[in-house]
Amino acid sequence: MQRQVALIKQSLFDQGYLDEQFMELEELQDDANPNFVEEVSALYFKDSARLINNIDQALERGSFDFNRLDSYMHQFKGSSTSIGASKVKAECTKFREYCRAGNAEGCLRTFQQLKKEHSTLRKKLEHYFQLARQAGPKETARRPK
Amino acid sequence: MTVEQNFEALDQFPAGMRVLAVDDDQTCLKILETLLRRCHYHVTTTNQAQKALELLRENKNKFDLVISDVDMPDMDGFKLLELVGLEMDLPVIMLSAHSDPKYVMKGVTHGACDYLLKPVRIEELKNIWQHVVRSRCDKNRGSNNNNVGEKRDGSGNEGGGNSDQNNGRANRKRKDQYNEEEDEERDDNDDSSAQKKQRVVWTVELHKKFVAAVNQLGYEKAMPKKILDLMNVEKLTRENVASHLQKFRLYLKRISGVTNQQAIMANSDLHFLQMTSSLNGLDGFHHRPTTVGSGQFHGGTPGMRPFPSNGILGRLNSPSGIGVRNLSSPPAGMFLQNQNDLGKFHHVSSLPLNHSDGGNILQGLPMPLEFDQLQTNNNNKSIAGSSMAFPTFSTQQNSLIRAPNNLVVLEGHPQASPSGFPGHQINKRVEHWSNAVSSSTLPPPQTSNSIHHQFDVSPLPHSRPDPLEWNNVSSSYSIPFCDSAATDTTNPGAFSRNTDFDSNANAQPGVFYDSLQMRQSGNYGPTTDAAMLSNNPKEGFVVGQQKLQSGGFMVADAGSLDDIVNSTMKQEQSQGELSGGDMGYGGFSSLRTCI
Repeated sequence: MQRQVALIKQSLFDQGYLDEQFMELEELQDDANPNFVEEVSALYFKDSARLINNIDQALERGSFDFNRLDSYMHQFKGSSTSIGASKVKAECTKFREYCRAGNAEGCLRTFQQLKKEHSTLRKKLEHYFQLARQAGPKETARRPK
Repeated sequence: MTVEQNFEALDQFPAGMRVLAVDDDQTCLKILETLLRRCHYHVTTTNQAQKALELLRENKNKFDLVISDVDMPDMDGFKLLELVGLEMDLPVIMLSAHSDPKYVMKGVTHGACDYLLKPVRIEELKNIWQHVVRSRCDKNRGSNNNNVGEKRDGSGNEGGGNSDQNNGRANRKRKDQYNEEEDEERDDNDDSSAQKKQRVVWTVELHKKFVAAVNQLGYEKAMPKKILDLMNVEKLTRENVASHLQKFRLYLKRISGVTNQQAIMANSDLHFLQMTSSLNGLDGFHHRPTTVGSGQFHGGTPGMRPFPSNGILGRLNSPSGIGVRNLSSPPAGMFLQNQNDLGKFHHVSSLPLNHSDGGNILQGLPMPLEFDQLQTNNNNKSIAGSSMAFPTFSTQQNSLIRAPNNLVVLEGHPQASPSGFPGHQINKRVEHWSNAVSSSTLPPPQTSNSIHHQFDVSPLPHSRPDPLEWNNVSSSYSIPFCDSAATDTTNPGAFSRNTDFDSNANAQPGVFYDSLQMRQSGNYGPTTDAAMLSNNPKEGFVVGQQKLQSGGFMVADAGSLDDIVNSTMKQEQSQGELSGGDMGYGGFSSLRTCI
């Protein structure tokens, strides 16, 4: 079971969904904080869902306030970075570039992509954590090769 | 080293360091919190800048370090940074996902002691305690004023401004310079580095603002950076404020013995400025922690104050250091606490001499040196000269001072012709004095031999400082001195010396008298003066005036001076030790001219 969990995690890394930051977080997990990573992830997803919502609304309004969008995205990027969500982070960066270029369409497109990545990651992580909980607390961070 | 001391003090440090983490992003905040806990710090978190400020304000000593995000909805992180630095003077680390150098620069210019990029790694957080240590180090250094070197500026604001008053003056000077050089993180950095050597003229307005700021912050808690921000003066650097604060503190200390500090502060603008203004040339106060009235100017004279004789003294006619140095042993009251003052005539300012009118701050203060001050106040130079004279007297070389003072004083007005006054005598005396002065020995045998002696008499302050006497006198002295003395004298012109004095002295004869007393006593020794004055109140007054004039007394009238001198001389014959001559004389000679 644990091996399975490990494998899943490994694949997440390999596929680029997660990066070293995630590992750092795992290292922070200890007996005092057994579910730290999961908690942080949960926080992240909650927060980012809210952000996504805001951005959605802003985009739907069609006003394209690039500054505001940029600042939302900056925030999004910040949290994604902290958790190690690399694909999501990449999309954020792209989005911001489009913002700066004033490319509304590019923004829209990227945002869709971002949302997709985001939800993918969420599912994968949820699955992962579920397994991890089942497998037991003895997980250790393992660096991807 | 302070660092080691710090460590010893907190043997657990950096563990247990209290950090306040501020970030609106919950995810990041949680991660940060965990990271910090992992470093064994004690963490408090909040996702609102306002709340953070409240927490900090609630108890300034509750935290050692603040880490804050840059982008926050309720308040800009930089703004928070500034406020924290200003109000609480804590080290602040900025955190952001922005790696743009512009942000980093902004962080630095707003006073952040570090700028970290998200995602934060634990390795980076493991070292943030260094900022706390550094800041403490700087503060210590500021207060100890010992280590000029290595002022790595973490967030130490107080380097220059801390109450390090009595530390080596030289050190202080160096430190100030050093601080200026090292100070890179102040918000007025650019200016300060460019301006660091630039002299700021502390005008009355500026000083008022300064004092208002200090009052607002509370004297105990006034820190240069905060004062600077409250003052909100362009181009004023923290260093300027710091050194000014230093001076101000010393000044207050000096006169704090005399009167309530608040009162002083209330009135002190002019006073202080006067004292310092002359100093412009001088660098910093070389304050000696002179105690008012204590008359102990300990300290070797020369040591006393590295009196930058250039500026003020120059005024005095360069009795530069003499007066000042000599002041080391201020006669009980006589000495103005700072020799610097003497040199500078700060004293003057303290004395009610302020030109404005008797409103001397000193009034209440037994400022021994008052008369010096008075003199100086009123008369620009003449007083200065006189003051010098006085200080010199009072200070250490009592005898020297005294005598020279007297002599000098007199000297100054050789020409003073006491019109209608028994001033003649005085005049003579003056000449006498001048002779004396010039000779730098006891006054040459002159007609007014008696006078001579008188002047000589009292080895100033030292031996006889009659603190009480002086004090009393001084207080009254100060104010009236200026005015009465000046007005009273019959001829202001007569005494060339008194030029300034006259005006001052004339104000109130009665008062003047007192002042004279003071002065005289101060110079001659308190006792004598009193006696002297008592003898001839009027004369005394006059004399006093004259004395003032001559010696820096604001002797209003030569004639009277004569009388006074006479009387004093009698009393003080014994005292005459003009030995010094050097001191006083040196200065005096210059005085002479001014007088």
